[in-house]
Amino acid sequence: MNEIVAPSNKETNANESSGLHKDASFETLLEVEKISLSFGGVHALDEVTFDIRKGEIRAIIGPNGAGKSSMLNVINGFYQPQQGFIKYKGNERKKMSPQIAASQGIARTFQNIALFRGMSTLDNIMTGRNLKMRRGIFWQMIHWGPARNEEIHHREIAEHVIDFLEIEPIRKTPVGRLPYGLQKRVELGRALAAQPDLLLLDEPMAGMNVEEKEDMCRFIIDVNEEFGTTIALIEHDMGVVMDLSDRVVVLNYGKKIADGTPDFVRADQGVVDAYLGVSEK
Amino acid sequence: MFYRETGQFKSSYKADQAIFPITQDRWFILFIFIIAFLVIPLTASEYLLQAVMIPLLIFSLAAIGLNLLVGYAGQLSLGTGGFMAVGAYMTYKLTTAFPEVNIIVIFILAGLISASVGFLFGIPSLRIKGFYLAVATLASQFFLVWMFNKVSWFYNHNSSGTITAPPRELFGVTVTGPTATAETRYIVALAIVCVFALIAKNLVRGRLGRSWMAVRDMDIAAEIIGIRPFQTKLIAFSISSFYCGVAGALMVFLWLGSAETEAFSINESFYVLFMIIIGGLGSILGSFLGAAFIVCVPILLTNAPQLFGLSMPIDLQKHIEIMLFGFLIVFFLIVEPHGLARLWQIAKEKLRLWPFPY
Ligand SMILES: Nc1ncnc2c1ncn2[C@@H]1O[C@H](COP(=O)(O)OP(=O)(O)OP(=O)(O)O)[C@@H](O)[C@H]1O
Ligand SMILES: [Mg+2]
Repeated sequence: MNEIVAPSNKETNANESSGLHKDASFETLLEVEKISLSFGGVHALDEVTFDIRKGEIRAIIGPNGAGKSSMLNVINGFYQPQQGFIKYKGNERKKMSPQIAASQGIARTFQNIALFRGMSTLDNIMTGRNLKMRRGIFWQMIHWGPARNEEIHHREIAEHVIDFLEIEPIRKTPVGRLPYGLQKRVELGRALAAQPDLLLLDEPMAGMNVEEKEDMCRFIIDVNEEFGTTIALIEHDMGVVMDLSDRVVVLNYGKKIADGTPDFVRADQGVVDAYLGVSEK
Repeated sequence: MFYRETGQFKSSYKADQAIFPITQDRWFILFIFIIAFLVIPLTASEYLLQAVMIPLLIFSLAAIGLNLLVGYAGQLSLGTGGFMAVGAYMTYKLTTAFPEVNIIVIFILAGLISASVGFLFGIPSLRIKGFYLAVATLASQFFLVWMFNKVSWFYNHNSSGTITAPPRELFGVTVTGPTATAETRYIVALAIVCVFALIAKNLVRGRLGRSWMAVRDMDIAAEIIGIRPFQTKLIAFSISSFYCGVAGALMVFLWLGSAETEAFSINESFYVLFMIIIGGLGSILGSFLGAAFIVCVPILLTNAPQLFGLSMPIDLQKHIEIMLFGFLIVFFLIVEPHGLARLWQIAKEKLRLWPFPY
C-alpha cells in the first residue's frame, strides 16, 4: 500500500482550483449531502459531501476503516444515515431500501463476495435480471408462450454479459466451486446483468493476481465506455485508481479529506499524512 | 447408441432450457412414462399398487412440496404433517358439503386453503431462521393436529373421529371410496403428481425458483438485487403447503380411504424430511428418489428375509429400518447434501464418458 504515498515528482499545480473541473456541462447523477452515520460510538461517516457525475468513474479511497464501504451501503440503501440526504437522478431521498435502489438502477458488488454459492454462474447472472422480468407466477408455472419468450429474452442478455466477461466455460458451474478471482468476475456479471445506471464496486480487485487485475480493469473501463455506466469504485491499489478514475474522493476516519482528480489528490498533504499514519502502524 | 451430449449442439437457448436437453434423456423419460401409465396399471398386483406405487406417488408430491421450501428456499420446516392434515380435512369437509363438485376441484381448493394456512405459519420466518424457525413450524404441526382432533366440526361430528373418503366419480368412473379400484386410484394419483411435478419444475427453473435459491444462499445479496426476502419466503411457504395439502388429501382419498389425525403426526413430517435429505435437497427428481427409497426400504426389509427362508421379528425390522435411515441421513448430510439425485447425476456423467474414461 506504500505506492499510494508517493506524492509523485510530477509537478501538480496546487492552485489549479483543487483540480476539479467546475464545468457546468457535467450532469450530476448522484449527490451525497452531509451524510453522517454512526454505529453506537463509532462515527463511520461524518458529514460527507460529494457528487458523482453521469458517465464518470469515481474512486473512493482511504485507509482501512475509513468508511468507504459504509458510504456505498448508504448509497444503495443498505444503511440508513442518521443525518444528511442523497439526491439521485434529481430526486432527494432520506430513506431508501436496497430493493428500491435496485429498481432505480443502482447495482453493486461486495468487498466480501456475496454470490449465491449453490447456484450456477448462469443462474447467478440471471438473478440480476429478476427485476426486469414481469410475468407472474401463473405464467411461470406453465413456462410456455410469453413466459418462455421472456425467459429466453433475458437469457440472451445474461449470455451477452457472460461473453463480455469471458466466462463461457463456467456457465453451468456452481459458483461455490469457482476460484476467488472468477467469483469476483461473476459477481460483477450479476451487477451488470441488471444494466444499472450506477454501478458500485467495493474493492473489485482485492486479492487478485496481476493478470486478473488487468482483466478486471479492462472490464471496468469497457463497461464505462461501451455502456456509459457511471461507476463508483473503492480500491486500495493506487496505480489502478490513477489509471481508471476520473475523480477521487478520499475518506479518513469517516471524514472527507480530499476530492479531485487523481493527480491532485495524490499531491494533497492531508492524503499523504492519512496514508502514512496507517502504514506506520 | 452411446449416452452422449457431444454432437448435440443446442442452437437456441430454448433448447438449452428444456427440462431434458439430452435426447437420450428424453427417450428415457418416455420409457418411464410408458411403464408408469401403461405397464404398471395393466400388470401390477393390487398389493404392489396399494403398498408401493400409490404411497410412493403421494409421498413424492409431499416431498416436492417440502423440497420447494427447504431445498430451494432454504426454510426448514417440520410442519409437513400438519399441512397434509389441512388438505385432507378440508377435502373431507368440502366434498361432504358439496358432493356434486368435481373431486379434482375439491383437491385444489383444499390445497389453496392449506396454502393460506402455510402463509400464516410462514410469517415468523420474517424474524427467525434455521433451528428456531423449525421449532416454530413444529408448533404449527402440533397445533393443527390438535385442532383437527379437538374440533369435531372438522370430521362432521361423527363418533369415531375419523374422516372417510366417500365415493366420488370422475368421467363416470369411481375414483375414491371403498369401491374404487387400486388401478383407478393409481392412475388418478399419477396424473395429478405428474402435473404438479411439472409445475414445480417450471417454477424452480424460472424467476421464482432463482429468487428462492438466492434467498436461501444469501438473503442480504438477494435484497440488493431487488428481491424481497420476506415476500419470497411467504410464497415458498404457501406453494409448499399447497403441495403438502394436496398430498394429504390424496393420502386419505386415494390411498388409505379413511384416517384419523394419527396419520398426520410429527412422524409424517420427519419421514418427508428424510425423503428430501436422502433424495436430494433442491431437486425435483430427488424428491421422487427419496420417496421411493423411504417407501420401498421397509417393504424390502419385510420381504427380503422371507425370500431367503429366514424370519425376522417385526421389531428387529423396525430397528434396522430406523438405524438405516439414521445412518443414511447423517451420511448424506455430511458427504452428499444433494442426495441420491446427485449420485444419479454422477452416474450419468460417468456414462457420458463410457467406454473411454479419459
Ligand atoms: N454494521 C456495522 N456495525 C458496526 N460497525 C460498523 C458496521 N459497518 C461498519 N462499521 C464500522 O464503521 C467503520 C467504517 O467501516 P467501513 O467498512 O465502511 O470501512 P472501509 O473504509 O470500507 O474499510 P476497509 O478498507 O477495511 O474495507 C469501521 O470502524 C467499522 O468498524
Ligand atoms: Mg470496505
